[in-house]
Amino acid sequence: MTPSLTDLALLIPELILVSMALALLLGASRIRNASMVTTATVIAAVVAAVVAALIAGRLSPDSPSLVGFSGMIIVDGYSQFFKVLIAAALTLATLLSVQRVNTDHVRPAEYHALLLLAATGMMLAASSTDLLTLYLGLELTTLSSYVLVGITVDKPESNEAAIKYFLLGSFASALFLYGIALAYGATGSTDLDKIASAFAASGVTTDPLLLVASVLIAAGLAFKIAAVPFHAWAPDAYEGAHTPVAAFLATASKVAGLAALGRVSLVIFASDNQVFSAILTLLAALSILVGSIIAISQTNMKRLLAYSSIAHAGYALLGFISGTSAGAEATMTYAYLYVFMTLGAFGVVIALEESGETLDGYQGLATKRPKTAALMLLFLLSLTGIPPTAGFVAKFVVILDVVREGQYVLAILAVACSVITAFVYLRVVVLMYMKEPLEAVDDDSHSSTQIPLAICLALAVAALITVVGGILPGILTSWAVAP
Amino acid sequence: MSEYGIEYAGIVACFIIAGAIAGGMVFFSSILGKKTPSAVKSAPFECGETPFSLPGGKMAIKFYLTAILFILFDVEVIFLYPWAVIYRSLGMVGLVEMGIFLGILLVGYVYAWSNKALDWQ
Repeated sequence: MTPSLTDLALLIPELILVSMALALLLGASRIRNASMVTTATVIAAVVAAVVAALIAGRLSPDSPSLVGFSGMIIVDGYSQFFKVLIAAALTLATLLSVQRVNTDHVRPAEYHALLLLAATGMMLAASSTDLLTLYLGLELTTLSSYVLVGITVDKPESNEAAIKYFLLGSFASALFLYGIALAYGATGSTDLDKIASAFAASGVTTDPLLLVASVLIAAGLAFKIAAVPFHAWAPDAYEGAHTPVAAFLATASKVAGLAALGRVSLVIFASDNQVFSAILTLLAALSILVGSIIAISQTNMKRLLAYSSIAHAGYALLGFISGTSAGAEATMTYAYLYVFMTLGAFGVVIALEESGETLDGYQGLATKRPKTAALMLLFLLSLTGIPPTAGFVAKFVVILDVVREGQYVLAILAVACSVITAFVYLRVVVLMYMKEPLEAVDDDSHSSTQIPLAICLALAVAALITVVGGILPGILTSWAVAP
Repeated sequence: MSEYGIEYAGIVACFIIAGAIAGGMVFFSSILGKKTPSAVKSAPFECGETPFSLPGGKMAIKFYLTAILFILFDVEVIFLYPWAVIYRSLGMVGLVEMGIFLGILLVGYVYAWSNKALDWQ
């Protein structure tokens, strides 16, 4: 197959983000105005999201997908759904960064360029139909993320987090690459469809090489979504990182990993899903259990949200276990709603600045800042999964899929752990609403606690989708199409 | 010699030319150059580093940055080789795509330059 320049048209959303990142890098040494960079990044992300949606709109039922770059890149409803979601997460994370970029002395152009490049890698991963392009996309994401985690160079905990993340991340990348090499050795191709037909011919269970390859690929991808037992990096990285970066990692990065995992499990294991579904069941059950239980003992808000994101990764995986398109659509719905409620919760942490980092900072928040407390209440209820918020719909669809599959034990575990996480999240609510503030409220402090407009906007969008997603889930998630 | 040998004659020629250029540089500078030996010049030389130092000795961080930049741009050149091999069959597309690749690389170079990564001071 000869390459042609029209292939580039498939990657317009990615090209927009890359061009903006390059433009920012070119001007990096001159740019000191953070708000201009924020505006530019938000515009690039929004345009990329719109273009991705327009491309999705041009796909017809007769030709549900476009393939380019010698069959390495695919554009279908599945990839475009995730691209829009990733661009949305990028937009909100950028808006949430406005204050911290100034207070933490982060160089604005580099910071935003890295965010844009990380998002580009995620989009590429969502569009890959070849294990090597998938690896390339995820690697672009993680390499940018290592730097983003350590971007506040003058903070020792940030450096520590970056090094931990880097060491564990490179280990996971190596595992993933090893899995690709073994899959190539066993089937003679890195193309997902060709591997799938080779799997169908020989059967995973009969070939130990393919079995090891599937385990290694699953392990590498499980690291990206921080599923237990590959979760150890997440709490440290989130705690040490600049809070907007933690929000971005907890949402966009996790979504990209889910997109990759979904495509791998649905394409490669289309004929014989047994082995991979067993691996996913184990990952999901452990993540839900460990994430929920360890979250109980956390006193740092970012660590608490990290463990909550680990548990949520487990819930999101539930949809992939059945290997059906209905299951994949359930996970896509989950990912969609999860992104906005998690960004909202992190947004409140950012809005509260220093006091938002520890649980003590939430004591008596309802008296001090009633509006912020009400928003946090909404996001926490949603993360718990209480109707009529989006979190309920998200948990409902994935658990329903597990029940349809007849895995009642797993469904019961998921619901039981939901109760445990309710304790975790509602403990914060109790602190906010039923405790007196630690220091007396003085009216003069009101002027200094103004939340910047950009953060207000991001919180409003997150809150809107959390509410609308809970009441009318159909209008927001009808886009979810399995590959 | 069979035709198998002739196929590799180009590599032999490459070795000879490379050897001649490198050897010529050393040879001509040794007979044409002015010699002013000093203690510093006679000491073993290793890329500006003191060749013998105890572990834990200090090293200028500047070397690290230069070395990283060198490796970065050096490795990128490797991508030009496979491209050059199939350049004709790629045609215009290959040229444009390599142009994009080098353009992205150039942005990195400009970034390093404008942030004074290439200045020694």
